[in-house]
Amino acid sequence: MSAASAQARIGRIGLYTLLVWTCLFFSIPLLVVIATSLKTSDEVRAFSIFSLPASPSFSAWVKAWFAACTGLNCGGVHVGFLNSVRILIPSVIMSVFAGSVTGYALSHWRVRGANVVMLFLLLGAFIPYQVILYPLVKMFSTIGIYSSLPCIIAVHVLFGLPVMSLLFRNFYAGLPEELVKAARIDGAGFWRIFIWVMLPMSVNILIVATILQTTGIWNDYLLGLIFAGRDNMPMTVQLNAISTTSTGVIEYNVNTAAALLTALPPLLIYFASGRYFVRGITAGAVKG
Amino acid sequence: MSAVSVCGLSKSFGLLRVLRDIDLPVEAGEFTVLLGPSGCGKSTLLNAIAGLEDIDGGTIEIGGIDVTQHEPSKRGIAMVFQSYALYPTMSVRGNLSFGLRVKSTPKREVARRIEWASRLLQIDELLDRKPSQLSGGQRQRVAIGRALVQQAKVFLFDEPLSNLDAKLRTEMRVELKRLHKELGATIIYVTHDQIEAMTLATRIAVMRGGRIEQYAAPDTLYEQPETLFVAGFVGSPSMNFLPGELVGGAMRTVRFGAAMLPLNGYAFRDALSARDVVIGIRPEHISLAQDAAAEAAIDAETLFMEPMGADTLGWFQCGEHRLAARLSPQVARGIGGRVRLSFAMDQISLFDPESEARL
Amino acid sequence: MAKLVLAPTVLVMLVCFYGSAMWTVYISMTRSFLLPTYAFAGGAQYARLFHTARWQVAYGNMFLFGVLDIVGTLLLGTLLAVLLDRQVRFEGVFRTIMLYPLSISFIVTGLTWQWVLSPTIGVQHFVNGLGWTDFVFDWITRPDRAIYTLVFAGIWHQSGLIMAIMLAGLRGVDREIWRAIRVDGIPAWRAYLHIILPMLRPLIVTCIVLIAIAVVKSYDLVVAMTNGGPGFSSDLPGKFVVDFEFERANIGQASAGATVMLGSVLAIVAPYLYFELSRKNR
Repeated sequence: MSAASAQARIGRIGLYTLLVWTCLFFSIPLLVVIATSLKTSDEVRAFSIFSLPASPSFSAWVKAWFAACTGLNCGGVHVGFLNSVRILIPSVIMSVFAGSVTGYALSHWRVRGANVVMLFLLLGAFIPYQVILYPLVKMFSTIGIYSSLPCIIAVHVLFGLPVMSLLFRNFYAGLPEELVKAARIDGAGFWRIFIWVMLPMSVNILIVATILQTTGIWNDYLLGLIFAGRDNMPMTVQLNAISTTSTGVIEYNVNTAAALLTALPPLLIYFASGRYFVRGITAGAVKG
Repeated sequence: MSAVSVCGLSKSFGLLRVLRDIDLPVEAGEFTVLLGPSGCGKSTLLNAIAGLEDIDGGTIEIGGIDVTQHEPSKRGIAMVFQSYALYPTMSVRGNLSFGLRVKSTPKREVARRIEWASRLLQIDELLDRKPSQLSGGQRQRVAIGRALVQQAKVFLFDEPLSNLDAKLRTEMRVELKRLHKELGATIIYVTHDQIEAMTLATRIAVMRGGRIEQYAAPDTLYEQPETLFVAGFVGSPSMNFLPGELVGGAMRTVRFGAAMLPLNGYAFRDALSARDVVIGIRPEHISLAQDAAAEAAIDAETLFMEPMGADTLGWFQCGEHRLAARLSPQVARGIGGRVRLSFAMDQISLFDPESEARL
Repeated sequence: MAKLVLAPTVLVMLVCFYGSAMWTVYISMTRSFLLPTYAFAGGAQYARLFHTARWQVAYGNMFLFGVLDIVGTLLLGTLLAVLLDRQVRFEGVFRTIMLYPLSISFIVTGLTWQWVLSPTIGVQHFVNGLGWTDFVFDWITRPDRAIYTLVFAGIWHQSGLIMAIMLAGLRGVDREIWRAIRVDGIPAWRAYLHIILPMLRPLIVTCIVLIAIAVVKSYDLVVAMTNGGPGFSSDLPGKFVVDFEFERANIGQASAGATVMLGSVLAIVAPYLYFELSRKNR
């Protein structure tokens, strides 16, 4: 009998060992980056990324925030941070709103061809950006808003539409039909039902959608690069520019600090939201 | 085939005592049914016997071997589940053989057992199909087949017929009874359906609140229920319960309302003095009094009739109490208003109102 | 009213997504160079494209990177999901650590791995410093090996997603199947291999599709990690198209490349959707 339980014990130890090794694999790159960002400028010459800082300091962080250089411009990543925030807030609000209304319309109102629309949205979610970038550039130029804040916001709303609509649609389809029917019998119309019946029940999915969009938009690089305009470059673009500037000694401590500053907002949201984050990424995956 | 002996088994989920000191001796070749309402602990008891649940106290012996610490696969049991639990991506043949292949059973033996079981259960045509291509009844047979090929000492069934429709259920009951006869297997079977229990079992353990209230043959349960609960649970339509008073002295009469009913040789457990009792009488033991001077008869007001086909269940009001009586449809058609009902006093049960035990 | 609300969405989708896509496809068949023209040229752009060394490398890389990335994330993600399915303590902690890479940008992931794998400051340097001066790990600077470093970073970033999806699937398996497995005496690893994972086949297919599409679209990761280098040995179609469109201003070639990308995605998605729909209808 103890042979069987001993075998089970070894099995469990093996299991936990594997898990711990995997966690090391996932966490070491981050830890290494954090360690490097805490080094002072002298330690950065001919150093190893795996060594610990001798006297940890946040000087690199301060420099990254206020004085990091992209080319000739040395304003620090706080510029990119503010840009990202200015892009993020309107984009998230509008794309979540657009998605929820579209999802609501597709789920509880018998619209002819609703299935076709959903198929369109689903396929649209798969189309790679690169296929439609140039035509979009041309369209925005024609309207006259290319390379500006409104442009990038519109682009984010546009690209968010398929995923958001499907997310909300699937959620609303899971709510009982009787609610909407009862409200309609009571005389409420499309918008009233949406505001007074649907939205109050949507708190969870709204959180999930917001997290999904916030993470996606904050971490975006390509769209920001092309559509935001020189004055509105998001933090990710600035980060890459800083890290690839190779004049003289590469200040790894500053670069890593900048990377951490860029990663921090969505990372904090992730740690704070746990379950919602997981729901977001798996819901985005398990479509239809 | 082996006997199963459960002694003093207890189990709790946290603070909730789910099984209390259970003793269940099952003889080899018996068909024991665990019967009771939801939450009585019958499924937990079955899972404990199977080894799928750990227990907090007591022992389990199968075939004379103490298996209390053994893993399910080492207890010599086979189990059939409520939702069949067939492996969906394997064919029927695969489902039947997988357990054997894992134990490195020689191929010829595996094939032989599959052939025997599939012939017995009439699923030999279905061996290459997947579970999703089978009907409910067929899936159930395959689940039973999977248990049979293991050639276990004891078979455990966990509400296997609950997911089938009524007609299939009746068919499968016949199948199970036939299997039991042919194989002489020791079976422990869980259900909440008392008709299943009554028709299939050699002995039934009626359970409530984690305890076995009575463990006896179906007839005994029906005619000599040990507790109020068993009396009310077994038999459909259920027994009528009326408050009465044992008239002191010779323990010969019990009073109900205004009527004095003679007890013809009721087998009392102990000598008793005058006391309150609960009178239990089954609907088929109440009839329309044939003559006005009948001995054990009461007056009642007719409420309504429930035609059930072969019989009609008549509902009557006597004072504050309602009774049901089984009547023939012709008789039922002719009555109304005040009637006189007579009781078959040699068929009644008496219970203590507090302890609910049989007197 | 609902129709009114849907109309702009439908319009936008049609014009911006599908209209643009079709425009790109059309342009790929014209003689466009710096500026789009509408003079038809048949497959000339494609002929040139597939003769371009850089495209050949990029296109080939897509398959190499794709297969390795898919297999890698699938294996690691599934393994982790299976491990976590075994009722471990601190499951929450493990999951938090495995999923956090998904919350950071591919740019940060790319830069991080660029630093870690760099021979001058990363792994090689560290091991040399420990005494093994012969140790060499300069894949990220070698043209023949750079693409594999992208695989590392890709697996690191995305395994968590597969883990989360597969774990949800594993948790959805009927508990009675597990009881039957225990009674049958089947060891856990065999149960996963022969019973449980085959039950999750549709989910596995979904995972493959998701990663595959991400591979086709890849841009941020390449830019941050190797910028397609050294030279263009680790280039991918996603980057090729953007570069040709905006830096090298060759609209015709870029459109051809983009259309090939679109075709690749369709080749993955169409059978997948067909597979899913037929499964639902059965």
